[in-house]
Amino acid sequence: MTMDGLMVFAVLVLVAAALSGAWLPRWWLALTLAGTAALLGAAFWTLGGGAEWDWRSGFALGGERLHLRLDAISAWFLALVAVVGGAGAVYAREYWPDRERPESAGRGRGWWSTIVLCMGLVLLCANGLHFLMAWEAFALSAYFLITLERERSQTRAAGWLYLAASHAGTLGLFAFFSLLAARTGSWELGPMRDHPELAPLFWVALFGFGVKAGMFPLHIWLPSAHANAPSHVSAIMSGVAIKMGLYGLIRFSGWLPVPAGAGWVVLTLGAVSAVLGGAFALAQNDLKRLLAYCSVENMGVTLIGLGVGLLGAANGDTAWGRVAMAGALLHVWNHGLFKSLLFFGAGSVLHTTGTREMSRMGGLWRTMPWTAGLFAFGSVAISALPPLNGFVSEWLIYLGLFDAAASHAQVAAVIVPATIALGVTGALALAAFAKAAAVVFLGASRTQAAEHAHECGWWMRGPMLGLAAACTFIALGSVAVWPAIQQPLGAWNPAWRGGEAPAPLAMLGAVQAALAALVAGAVVVLWSRARTNGVRRAMTWDCGYAAPTARMQYTGGSFSALAVGWFAWVLQPQRQLRWPRGPFPRRADHVERIPETVLERVIGPVSDVVMVASSWVRQRQQGHLPDYILYLVAGLAAMGALVVFGNM
Amino acid sequence: MNDLLNLLIGLAMGLNLVALGTSRLPSLIRVAALQGMMLGIMPLVIEHEWRVMVLVIAVATVIMKGIVIPALLHRAMRTANIDRDLNPLIGFLPSLLLGAAGMIGAVVLASWLPLLPEHRESLLVAGSLASVFTGLLLLIGRSKAISQVCGYLILENGIYLFGLLLIHSTPLLVEGGILLDLTVAVFVTGIIVDRIQRAFDSLDTRRLTVLRE
Repeated sequence: MTMDGLMVFAVLVLVAAALSGAWLPRWWLALTLAGTAALLGAAFWTLGGGAEWDWRSGFALGGERLHLRLDAISAWFLALVAVVGGAGAVYAREYWPDRERPESAGRGRGWWSTIVLCMGLVLLCANGLHFLMAWEAFALSAYFLITLERERSQTRAAGWLYLAASHAGTLGLFAFFSLLAARTGSWELGPMRDHPELAPLFWVALFGFGVKAGMFPLHIWLPSAHANAPSHVSAIMSGVAIKMGLYGLIRFSGWLPVPAGAGWVVLTLGAVSAVLGGAFALAQNDLKRLLAYCSVENMGVTLIGLGVGLLGAANGDTAWGRVAMAGALLHVWNHGLFKSLLFFGAGSVLHTTGTREMSRMGGLWRTMPWTAGLFAFGSVAISALPPLNGFVSEWLIYLGLFDAAASHAQVAAVIVPATIALGVTGALALAAFAKAAAVVFLGASRTQAAEHAHECGWWMRGPMLGLAAACTFIALGSVAVWPAIQQPLGAWNPAWRGGEAPAPLAMLGAVQAALAALVAGAVVVLWSRARTNGVRRAMTWDCGYAAPTARMQYTGGSFSALAVGWFAWVLQPQRQLRWPRGPFPRRADHVERIPETVLERVIGPVSDVVMVASSWVRQRQQGHLPDYILYLVAGLAAMGALVVFGNM
Repeated sequence: MNDLLNLLIGLAMGLNLVALGTSRLPSLIRVAALQGMMLGIMPLVIEHEWRVMVLVIAVATVIMKGIVIPALLHRAMRTANIDRDLNPLIGFLPSLLLGAAGMIGAVVLASWLPLLPEHRESLLVAGSLASVFTGLLLLIGRSKAISQVCGYLILENGIYLFGLLLIHSTPLLVEGGILLDLTVAVFVTGIIVDRIQRAFDSLDTRRLTVLRE
């Protein structure tokens, strides 16, 4: 089958899936899987060294000829879209079925295929105008997916916030693409590295794509949207949709020349996003919000890699830039895979306990061993612990950072702090996921719902197992993945085309495999010993209390209290403490809330001022004709004064 | 020739103040009519040779602005049977003071503007600006629909005065077209006023705020 045929097949099948989703769930699942499989095939064909696919049509949309192209960078992200799109479709069959959600299940299926199709089109469009159209359609279908459960007011608020932030970003993109078209004289996109006058446009793109990518000060929409969406939607939002912002940054920093300071700025923003995202993640008590902030953190890690890559390209295409950029690209895949896995796991927990509050869970591993095991697997991966795949990509970024610090004195000034920030981030992520996994799955059940939890079925377990298998493949076969990384790397910077895998990568693969074998062996040994000897269950030493209860366990808040204290300057935790009083205290409580600092302390006050000003203007709008004439006269007089005094 | 023109413009500027100071609707209509007639004969004063076209336009202007439009307004006033007081939004004394200030401002502004030498001596620009300002002031400061029509009339008179600057380069036919528009507008307003009166029992534009969005 030719590439043209494959693409036409994928698009037609996904359109058919979007249309059939509301009424024909089985057909929808088959069509969506077929479409994503076709996309995956096309992506792997290109990544496997196939020729770049370039397709021009005589059909004009909005006055511009359709022009699609699939190069290695697009293919890299397209593979992720296809994998998570397919896995989520299977997962949704059990997680968001018609019998439990008669109102929204059909809508959800339709929009699911739509978002997969639209993200695919964003990746393929090689015309600025059509890119914007696809981008807008993608943003809107994400909005409809987030607000599937629209009867809850929190969900509606999250949807609005997402829509507003997303459109602020789109505004930046409109500016970016129209300025680009105005300067080049055409909406066509392609390599334009020999036009140094286009470099300042990078800053506009950084804002526009940064909002979507959830870069730190622009991440305001992300936590509430990811927390309130259904879990399979959170998975595609967090695993894939925010990567579209990253795709934009990588794509246009590769095609356009970048300004001199771009590498430094991206590196700094990445370090800030990583550390603060990690700190916010650790402080959350809502399981999905924790995962959402962790996405901010991982975007930061990826941006650190991209920043080092930009610095490397600016300093004569150095080898360390290449390694770090490879790490960033691999982290895109890795984060997409294990973050989807974790959101699927969180969805499985949410599905049975009906709450996202970690302090209402506990002890779930007894009833949900599969989910607990897969969530723990994802936690190890996302905390970048060997022998899993998160370690491989972060290790490549570290390798780039170390080589840069060792080789180039001028760059070291920012590289060394960034390395330290990445180290701190790793610690924060580990703490956050130790907290999540421990509070949710270990200990004793804190509520009735947690006690009577049940394991999810195979439709939900299957996609999680598939994602875990993909993570394992990347972790152990990183050398095999390298040729695929090299394709987008070469497309991004032609100077880095070809070349060998960095020598330590082969050794890393061996070490990872040895470690994995060791862990697997230890598990088998422990398992068999537990089987033969039996498990002796005893109470944890309870400081001599006569009647300990499940409520006396460590809570998530107490687990993270120390680290929250370190970051109190930005987390600004709000505590309400009622001490126990008297010898027989009746009541005492301690409520801690972590505000959305940027949203509540910065965006909120600014928008309040805007609202006051606008309502003052609105009061002038009373419908009295004489008043309007007065405004006209005042406006004319002001313009006249401007002309008179402007010329003086 | 210039003296006679300046005299007429001076009188028209005086009428502006009268229009601002009067408290009765009929006298406001009369002032607007009188000003319109003065403007109507100005082309005859400016032009050196009297062509037929100029004569026709002058006569038409005088008839329209001096007789037809005021008659229409009077008729609307009578059929709508409205209160003849003006109930101003800006009081008469403040209006007069503002009008006088506007007139001084117009003279000062006219002396600033880079005009052709032959226009420097005449009051055309100053009178035009003062009339426009007076018209706007009436539009802002009076609430009855008919008094607003008078405001538009005086505003148009100001624009007409400005147009006289270009009398040698633009055909008066354009001016004639504007005049026709205005007449139709007044005619339509006269009908609308009647309808508004029947529908809302009032002609106070302050009450017509339902359609503001």
